[in-house]
Amino acid sequence: MNIIETERLTKTYRRFKKPEGLSGSIKSLWKREYEEKAAVRDFDFALQEGELVGLIGPNGAGKTTLTKMLTGIIAPTSGRIDVMGFYPNDLKNEFKRQYAVVMGQKSQLFYELTANDTLRLFKEIYELDEKQFRETRAYFTELFGVRELMDVQVRTLSLGERMKMELMVALLHQPRILFLDEPSIGLDAIASGQIRRFLKQVNRERGTSIILTSHYMEDISTLCDRSVVIHHGCKVYDGRTDELFARYQKNKKITATFSQELPPAQNLAAEGAASLQGQAGGQSPRRPSRWEVLERTPHKLTILVPKEEASAALAAIMPWGPTDISVEEDEIGTVVERIYQDGSRGAAL
Amino acid sequence: MRNRMKKNFRVLRELIRIRFQHLMLFRLGFFGPFFVDGSLFAVQLMVFRAVYSNVDRIGTWGEGEMILFIGTFSLINAVGMVFYFFGIRQLPDKIRSGELDLYLTKPVSPLLRLTFEQVNPGSLPLMAMSLCIIWYGAHRAGIVPRAGDVLLYLGWLAVMILLHYDMMVLIRSVCFYLVTNARLEQLEDAALELCMKLPGIAFYGIYRVVFCFLLPYGLMATLPVQSILGELRWQTALQGLAVAGAFTGLTACAWKRGLRRYNSASS
Repeated sequence: MNIIETERLTKTYRRFKKPEGLSGSIKSLWKREYEEKAAVRDFDFALQEGELVGLIGPNGAGKTTLTKMLTGIIAPTSGRIDVMGFYPNDLKNEFKRQYAVVMGQKSQLFYELTANDTLRLFKEIYELDEKQFRETRAYFTELFGVRELMDVQVRTLSLGERMKMELMVALLHQPRILFLDEPSIGLDAIASGQIRRFLKQVNRERGTSIILTSHYMEDISTLCDRSVVIHHGCKVYDGRTDELFARYQKNKKITATFSQELPPAQNLAAEGAASLQGQAGGQSPRRPSRWEVLERTPHKLTILVPKEEASAALAAIMPWGPTDISVEEDEIGTVVERIYQDGSRGAAL
Repeated sequence: MRNRMKKNFRVLRELIRIRFQHLMLFRLGFFGPFFVDGSLFAVQLMVFRAVYSNVDRIGTWGEGEMILFIGTFSLINAVGMVFYFFGIRQLPDKIRSGELDLYLTKPVSPLLRLTFEQVNPGSLPLMAMSLCIIWYGAHRAGIVPRAGDVLLYLGWLAVMILLHYDMMVLIRSVCFYLVTNARLEQLEDAALELCMKLPGIAFYGIYRVVFCFLLPYGLMATLPVQSILGELRWQTALQGLAVAGAFTGLTACAWKRGLRRYNSASS
């Protein structure tokens, strides 16, 4: 059953075009020019109960605007929107009781007080009885492992701990839908990993539908079976996350640092070729022609390689004795750009 | 309806409890305003004394009535300071920064939450002092009110506190429609300051239109005082009720339409 449906959903902002200089400013006192900017355009979307969907897109793509329309914070300019049978911007309390929203950059916790203090207020706002409140709080306190942090001032918590509290506050009334806007922003790898595990568990055990907006590919690839990619306010991909990554995440960025000076540049290609040849059992030697050196200093090397050749590249680098190596996926902007180009040829959706 | 009121009351109680806990974290922050507000009030009284020491009457009112008027205006102001002033004052910032987002997603009136989120017990002495002045003014004016007069006075006081609140919300709701309302807040401050010193009976002609209908601060303490003095004509009373009703309707409309226009802030 669909609990969210949108059809040709559009949000347009009008913005003032300021003419250059003082004379332009004086003219604009009497005559102003405005331009229309579509933050979200003709967006069709459906979410089934219990689904966990990732919303991906670069900065300014329209992800947050879409989330704000789905939660009723802002009204759409045109199109149809139905969330659990409600028009969100009517801001009905019956509607607001059934969802929760966590915005990575906006906290709902009282900074100087404890998480328990905020939870008490939310207990009253969501009209929970004492027993239900205590049971739900105990469940999440155990799940997040934060029992000893409940009576600590929020401002003294780490970013990761604070995000756990944000999630607890949001999930206290057991919403049917949880909107998460960049929940892992600023978190380190360990904290992000924990948050992802909790979300997976909440989705599985409580059946909470989740719409996750994130810049981080890892959030999406670990959590979401389905992804929706937005670019310039339009949907450019809606489908399985594994297919998205298989088709559009083509490269890996390898960064290695060295205590000794690096050998000359041409050796890298030779080592890579040898490694690839070794991997192919000496049958069909391949040339690592698409390896792109992004940065090279005497003690640091950053290269971009096709993902299927990443192990060969690592094998080529290892003999030089790196002190540290990191391997990163394609950045979200690159992937989206690729989908967009593919989409313009009619292949993405 | 009854359930909603009960729920709002519980939320209100929790907001006040949280606010007290918050204030008590910082001892100077908690005790400081008691002294600061008290001192400010004393300064206002001294200014009033200096201004009116050589004036016998304003309109038909003598010194006792004027003291009653000052006390009543101070009480309206103090009730605002204790309950809603500091909460509503933050509205423009919350609109501009997009902080209002999180208020809109909770199943409780955002205006209720904003209104009572920043209650300020530091202004309670101001309320107590205002009550003392009202008592002293009534004594000086030679008024011995009956229970009915006191009830009527309290009724008018409640209507005028609502009007004061309406004006605060209305002026700040302008930020839903325009980028800033800074000058309007200055206008509000100037009108308040003037009308705290001069009762509505002193305004005639265009000034009466401005301070009794457009920026109706001239009515705020005047009508309750006129009611307890037995001077309030039914035409004036109706006018006062109509103004309070019109501003309440206008504020509700500006707020509701404002929420629909709200575009949040880019994050």
